[in-house]
Amino acid sequence: MTLFVLAAGGLLSTNAGLAFWLGIAFVLLLLLLGKFAWGPITSALAERETTIEESMTRAERALAEAKQLQADNEVARREAEGQAQAILRDAREQASAQRDADVAKTKAEIVRMQESAQADIENQKQQALTELRSEVAALAVGAAEKILRKEIDAEAQRGLVDQFIADLPQN
Amino acid sequence: MRTLRYALLLTLAALALPAQAAGDEGELDAVHHTSDGYYLDYSPFGKVELPRLFVVRRDGAIGFEAFRSSTAAVASGLYAIGGHGDGDGPHSPTAHAIDDQAEDGVAAERAEAGEDLTAEELGEANAEEILGEQVEPESAYDAVLVPTGDASVVIDLSMTRHLVFVFVAIGLLALLLLPMGARYKRGVGRTSAPRGLLQNTVETIVIYIRDEIARPNLGDKTDRFLPYLLTVFFFILTCNLLGLLPFGATATANLTTTAVLAVFTFVITQVAGTKDYWMHVLWPPGIPWFVKPILVPIEILGLFTKPFALAVRLFANMTAGHLVLLNLVGLIFIVAGMSETAGWATSVPALGLTLFVYALELLVSFIQAYVFTILSALFIGMATAEHEHDHDHAEDHGFTAHDIAVAQSNGRDSAHKAHERTVGTEGVLA
Repeated sequence: MTLFVLAAGGLLSTNAGLAFWLGIAFVLLLLLLGKFAWGPITSALAERETTIEESMTRAERALAEAKQLQADNEVARREAEGQAQAILRDAREQASAQRDADVAKTKAEIVRMQESAQADIENQKQQALTELRSEVAALAVGAAEKILRKEIDAEAQRGLVDQFIADLPQN
Repeated sequence: MRTLRYALLLTLAALALPAQAAGDEGELDAVHHTSDGYYLDYSPFGKVELPRLFVVRRDGAIGFEAFRSSTAAVASGLYAIGGHGDGDGPHSPTAHAIDDQAEDGVAAERAEAGEDLTAEELGEANAEEILGEQVEPESAYDAVLVPTGDASVVIDLSMTRHLVFVFVAIGLLALLLLPMGARYKRGVGRTSAPRGLLQNTVETIVIYIRDEIARPNLGDKTDRFLPYLLTVFFFILTCNLLGLLPFGATATANLTTTAVLAVFTFVITQVAGTKDYWMHVLWPPGIPWFVKPILVPIEILGLFTKPFALAVRLFANMTAGHLVLLNLVGLIFIVAGMSETAGWATSVPALGLTLFVYALELLVSFIQAYVFTILSALFIGMATAEHEHDHDHAEDHGFTAHDIAVAQSNGRDSAHKAHERTVGTEGVLA
């Protein structure tokens, strides 16, 4: 029993001097660490956390913006493609219309040229006919004159010639 | 792997050295080794006596008296050895008195028996020898010093072994944390990620204490009390771990140390207490008037039992672990006293067990620092919580509107449940 009490006396003894120094030392430690360690550390951690949170929000926003931008670009690209196709189609249509018009014009020109050629031919033919007629008439008259000089008088000749001319085809 | 082997070696060294020291003196005294004293024990290399400082009332005048060591104090003639130690330095006068009485008792018995000692008495004498009683010549460092002449010690402000290790812990913390604070101030860890093992470790602990201990209990008052919680955690942890080093002493295995820490928590709790808290203690609302005279004293008592439990829990845990360690080592020598071969055979399982308990102690060092911190946070949280008081206190420890209100005011539900549980089962945690 005595031993127990003695043992307890050793372990459970209190010491006012130790309490005094420890009290002072601990207060100093609290102040020291509070000011120079925990202050900077906790404020830095809080700051870092807000920074990270903000950056994440910013990144998310940027991502959304980028996605929006991409979508916009996609729309614009499609629009541009559509426009390009429309332009191409227009051009093609215009080209074909132009070609058609050219063809028609050429055809008309050809027709006109044909017509003018025919008119020329007709004119020339008429002219040639007229010339031929007067030539033939002159020849006939000459021939007839020669014949008639020998056989008939001039009156009989004229009658014959007129008859001859009248019998000539009209064109 | 190499580190582990080194750690094991250190462990064995730590355990072997005190044992060896004890061997030199022919004894192994676990209590002696665990408790406080006025010297640093570097056995087998020797002991370093610590300076003694007394505030003393001599011939009616109060004055300081300082000495380089206990031996110097005795040599000066101003102090005399008032009684030998029972294995440690600081004695309370009552313990000393019991000591003297016990000696007288044994002496008287012996006188009566006329040196004819019975087996029982022999056993008792042996036990005393094992504990280091009455065997050695008195040495000043291990004794209670009493002033000579018409003088009395007002307060003994001498350095003790545990105080030295308190200072060592404070020094280490300052060395570790002040540069760390400067680092954060510079911007490492503020604008960039923390760098290095040390900073990452410290940061992890700091964040754990902030998010898992302080915030759930203190809510938006976290910032106010976080520095205290951090300091107390790191201080206790450092003290606990220092006790596991070779030649180390556990400052937290001292009731005075833990009591001082508990008083800090107590004072902070009471100073931070809101009107609600004091109402709760002095005039608990929501209960019939005739119960109040019974309940109020209990509540007031509760104010003091909380820090008391804090102090005793930490002290008992740290002391018990060391006693178990030393007793396991002591087992070897007890068995070796019977048979040397058996002693050698015992050493294998005893050292294995010692190693296991040592690892356990390492764990306990962290757990007890954590427990002290979280309970401090709880007590402060309870005192600072602002909540409605129109609840029925008859169903106090069920889960009532009160709990929900507290939990809501503190921002987290589960935390409060935990706190009610913890408060209810403090004894178990110890």
